[in-house]
Amino acid sequence: MASKISGGAVLRAAARIIVLLFFLFPIFWVFLMSFQTNQQILRIPPSIFFTPTLENYTALFSGRLQTASGSLDIAFIKNLLNSIILSSCSVLIALILGVPAAYAFARFKFRLGENIAFTLLSFRFAPPLLVLVPLVAYFQMIGLSDTYIGLIWVYQLICLPLILWIVRGYFEDISPDIEHAYRVDGHSWAKTFFKIAIPLARPGIAAAALLSFIFAWNNFVFALILASADKQPVTVGALAFVTSAGIQYGIIAAAIVLSVTPTLLLALYAQRYLVEGLSLGAVKG
Amino acid sequence: MTRLEIRNLSKSFGSLRLFHDVGFAVAAGETLALAGPSGGGKTILLRLIAGIMEPDEGSILIDGKDVGGVGPEARDVGVAFQNFALYPHMTAFENIASPLRARGTETARVKERVTEVAALLKIDHVLENQPRELSNGQKQRTALARALIRRPKVLLLDDPLRNVDAKLRYEMRLELPRLLAVADCAAIYVTQDYREAMGLGDLVGILRAGRFEQIAPPAEIYTRPRSVEIARLFGDPTINLLPCRPERTAEGLQVEIFGRPMPLPLHFAAAEGRDCLIGVRPEHVSVGLQNGPGSLPFELNAVTPLNVRAVLFLRDAAGTELLATCPEDDALAFGRGHHRVFVTIDTSRALLFDRENGQTLALPAAAQPLAA
Amino acid sequence: MATLVLDHLNKIYKPRGRAPVKAVDDVNLASADGEIIGLLGSSGCGKTSTLRMIAGFEDVSSGTIRIGEQPIQQTAPARRGVAMAFEGYALYPPLKIEDNIGFALLRQRMPRAEVRKRVRDIAELLEIQPILERYPPTISAGQQQRASLARALVRRAPVSLLDEPMSQLEPQLRAILRARIKDYLAAHQMTTVFVTHDQTEAIALADRIAVMEKGVLQQFASPAELKERPANLFVASFIGEPPMNVVQAEIGTTRGARVVQLFDRAGEPSFTLPIGGLGQDQIPLAPGKVILGIRPHRITLADQGLQGRIQSNQWLGDQTHLLIEVNGIPLTVVTHRRIPGRIGDNLAIEIPPRALHLFEPASGRALLHGGDAVRAAA
Repeated sequence: MASKISGGAVLRAAARIIVLLFFLFPIFWVFLMSFQTNQQILRIPPSIFFTPTLENYTALFSGRLQTASGSLDIAFIKNLLNSIILSSCSVLIALILGVPAAYAFARFKFRLGENIAFTLLSFRFAPPLLVLVPLVAYFQMIGLSDTYIGLIWVYQLICLPLILWIVRGYFEDISPDIEHAYRVDGHSWAKTFFKIAIPLARPGIAAAALLSFIFAWNNFVFALILASADKQPVTVGALAFVTSAGIQYGIIAAAIVLSVTPTLLLALYAQRYLVEGLSLGAVKG
Repeated sequence: MTRLEIRNLSKSFGSLRLFHDVGFAVAAGETLALAGPSGGGKTILLRLIAGIMEPDEGSILIDGKDVGGVGPEARDVGVAFQNFALYPHMTAFENIASPLRARGTETARVKERVTEVAALLKIDHVLENQPRELSNGQKQRTALARALIRRPKVLLLDDPLRNVDAKLRYEMRLELPRLLAVADCAAIYVTQDYREAMGLGDLVGILRAGRFEQIAPPAEIYTRPRSVEIARLFGDPTINLLPCRPERTAEGLQVEIFGRPMPLPLHFAAAEGRDCLIGVRPEHVSVGLQNGPGSLPFELNAVTPLNVRAVLFLRDAAGTELLATCPEDDALAFGRGHHRVFVTIDTSRALLFDRENGQTLALPAAAQPLAA
Repeated sequence: MATLVLDHLNKIYKPRGRAPVKAVDDVNLASADGEIIGLLGSSGCGKTSTLRMIAGFEDVSSGTIRIGEQPIQQTAPARRGVAMAFEGYALYPPLKIEDNIGFALLRQRMPRAEVRKRVRDIAELLEIQPILERYPPTISAGQQQRASLARALVRRAPVSLLDEPMSQLEPQLRAILRARIKDYLAAHQMTTVFVTHDQTEAIALADRIAVMEKGVLQQFASPAELKERPANLFVASFIGEPPMNVVQAEIGTTRGARVVQLFDRAGEPSFTLPIGGLGQDQIPLAPGKVILGIRPHRITLADQGLQGRIQSNQWLGDQTHLLIEVNGIPLTVVTHRRIPGRIGDNLAIEIPPRALHLFEPASGRALLHGGDAVRAAA
C-alpha cells in the first residue's frame, strides 16, 4: 500500500516538472539571454555558463547602443512610458464605460440586449488586421492617427468586451433582492448602485481590470500600425533592435524582461482575483 | 382604519397571467397571511406592493394615497426577504441601521433604535458581526429587525421562516405575533406552511390560478373551505376524501360510505343526488377497541406519531384507506397496530365537494364563537 | 428479514494537512429482525457516514458490521444483501421509471410477470403509477424521490437503507405515505435503516431511533422513550415539536418542602414549582443548579394555578400552540382544544410533576424524569 502511494507521488512530481519545464524554460532562457552579449548568445552549441554583463540594460536605460556599425538611439524608456499611459488610460475608460453597461446587461432585459452584448464580444473574434486598414484611413481623416486618444479608443476593442463580460457575470451572481432591500430601506437607485452593486462586484471588477490591462499591455498590431515612434509601446519598440547591423538579441531579451516585469508583478500580486475572474465571472457571463 | 388597499390589480408576464382583478384591504395592526401553492404569484404580489415591480393595471393605496409610480424608497414599506438579502459587506448593526441612515437620522438616535430592536429580537450580542458570521436564525432575525426598525406603514414578509430549521421556525412562529403587535403596521405574510398561515394571519388569503379563492379568518378557512383544494392545503394529515352521493331516505339525508349508510345534517340538502366527494378531517374520526353503536370495523395497519398527536392508518374490508388522528397518549392503547379496531365518523362536521369542479357544495353552520 | 449489528463502529477521516476527524465514534447498534431503525441528527453528525458504511460505499476504519451472523465489511456492496434509496435519487436516466424500479429484480432472474406485478404494487403504494412510462429527467424532484424509494423497497432485501427518503415529498402526501410505508415494511418484515434530519419523520416511521451528534450515538431507544426519558439535554431538545421549554433552575427548600426555583432570561428568580413528591426516596437529587426541561404538551390549562399572560394563541385545526409568559419566563404550551384568549389576556396553567425533566448544567446529563418518579411513587 505504502509503496504504491509513493510510486504515484513520484509520477505526479515528474509530470509536474515536465509541465513546468515546458512553460517556464523559454522565460528562463530569455532571462539568461538578457545578461549576455550577442556573441555569447549566438555561439554554438549554446551554453548556460557565461560571464554575465549588464551591457544590455545600461544601453536600454542610457538610450544609446554601441554596435560594430556605430551607435544607435534607443527610445525604450519612452516606449515603456507609452505602454503605461496607453494601458492604464484604456482600462480606466473601459471601466467607466463597461461597468455600468455590464450592470445594465445583468439586471435589465431590454430589446436586443443579448445581441448588443454579443456584438461587443465578437470584436474579440475578428482578426484585428481586418479592421486596421480602414481604421488607418479614417483616423488620418479625422486627425486621430498617431495620438494617444486614437490609440486608447482602439484599445477599447480589447478592454471593453473583457470588462463587460467578466463584470456582468459578477453582477448576475449578486441576488437582486439585496439591491431591492436597499431601495426599500429608502435609498435612491444611484446610491444602491454605488453602495451595494459596485462593492459586491469589486473582486470581479479588479480581475477584469487586471486582465484587460495585461491584454492592452501585450497588444502589438494596433500600435504597430496606428502609432509612430514617439507613441509606440514597448511591444512595438522592441522592433527597433532589428537593425541593419543584425538582430540585437541581448537587447531584445533585456527589453522583454523589463516589459514583462510590471504585468508579471501585477499578476502575482492579484493572482487570486485573476483566477476567480477567469473561471467564475467569465464562465457565467 | 384601512392602511393598505389593493384595487383591481392585474399582472401578466407575456402570455402568463399571474393574477387578474385582485383586491383586498388590510388595516393597521392586522396581518394578512397569503397561502397557496408555489407559483401562485404570492411573491410577485409583494413585489408590486413594495414597488420593485409595477402592475399592469389597478392601484395600490397606502393610507388612502395611490403609490403607483412611486419608487420603493418612498413607499414606507418594510420587507423581509425569503433569502434574507442582508448586505454581506456590512455588519449586522449597519444592516439594521440602513433604513434610518437613508432618512439621515442622527447617529445617537440610530444607535439607540438599533439596540432597542436588536434586544427585542435577541440579536444584541451579534451586532458587530458580518452576515457570514451569523447563524441562519440570526440572519433571519437581522433581516426582520431591518424591516421593522423604522416602523413602516406596511410590512411585507416573504416566507421569512423558510430557510431556518424546524426548531427556530416554531420559536419564531410563536414570537412573531407579539412583534407584529408592537409594530402596528399592515402586515402581509407569505407562506407555504398552513400552520404559519393559521397561526399568524388575522385573515388568510388563498391565491390560486390568478385570483383569491378565499379570504377569511383562519378558523373559517379550516372549517369552511370554499373548495376541495383549499381543504387539502390546510391540515396535516390531509383531509380524507371519499366519493359518495347523498340520498334522501326515510331516516333523513344519508350518505353511503364504507358500505354503510350514515346520516348527514340537513344543511347538506343541496347536495342531494349529486356526485360528491365527502371530506372528513382525520381528527373527526374516532377509533376505539370496543364495538359500539354506529361504529365500523376497520383494520389498523400502522400508527405513525405526528408531534403531539398520532396518525392511525386504517383500511376497511374492501381495502379503502382512512386516516384518523388522536392525542399521542391515547394511541398507546393501539400498540404497533395490525389488529381490528372500531371507527366512528363525525359526519356532522364533514364537508361535501362537487366531484366535477371541486367547489364546496354546502357548508356547516358558521363556527360558534368561542365562549370567553 | 435479517438482523443488523454495528459493533464498535468507527470512521475516521484523515484530511491532508489537518487533524483527523472522527465522523463516527464507537457506535454500537443491534436491530431486531424486521425492525425499522431511524438514524437521526443534524448535518455532519455521522448518520450518513454510518449508512454508507453499511451499504459498503465507505471503508470501515475499525469495528464490525454484521447482517445476520455474517460480518460484511469486506464484502462488495452488491453482495451484502442491502437495497438503498439515495438522497440524490440516482435513477438511471435512460430507463423508464418502471424499468428503474424493476431493474434489480430482473437481474435476480425473477420472472417478468412477477416483476411487473411487484412494480405495479409498489407504484400504487407510492402514488407513482401515472409516471411509470416516463423517464427520470422529465418528472419532478418529489416524484423522482418516490421512484428511488420504490426501487429500494420493491426488492424486499434483507436490509433496506434509505437516505433522507421523504425530504422532498409534497406536504399533502407526507402523512399517508409514511403510514403506507410503515405498513409495507412491517408486512414484509423488512429490516430497515433510514437516515433523516427531521425528528417528526424519524418518530413517525421508526421502531427505534438512534440519535447522533458529532459522531457519537447519544441515545438508541423507542420514540416514546426518547420523549419521556431523554438521556441528555441534547436529545431532549432535539426530539419533540414544538421543542421542549428549557429553563435555568435550582433545587432548594421552602418551608421544609423541596422546590425547584426557576430563573428568567436575565437570571432573576421567578416562580417555584413543588417537587416534594419527586426524587426523595426514589431518585436522589442534590440541591444545586439544574436545567429544567418542560414538554409543551404536558403543561395543562387550569382554572387556578400559575398566572400567565398570553403572548401568542395559535389554533391550527387540531391543536392549539400557545406562548404564555409566566413571571418573565416564556413557556410554549400545546393543547388539543381551541382556547379563547388574545395576546395580553391572562391564562392560568399548571405544570404537573410528570412534565418535568432535570438535567445537569455542565454535562447536560439527565438527572430525573418526572414521569419515572411519578410512576415510582405510585
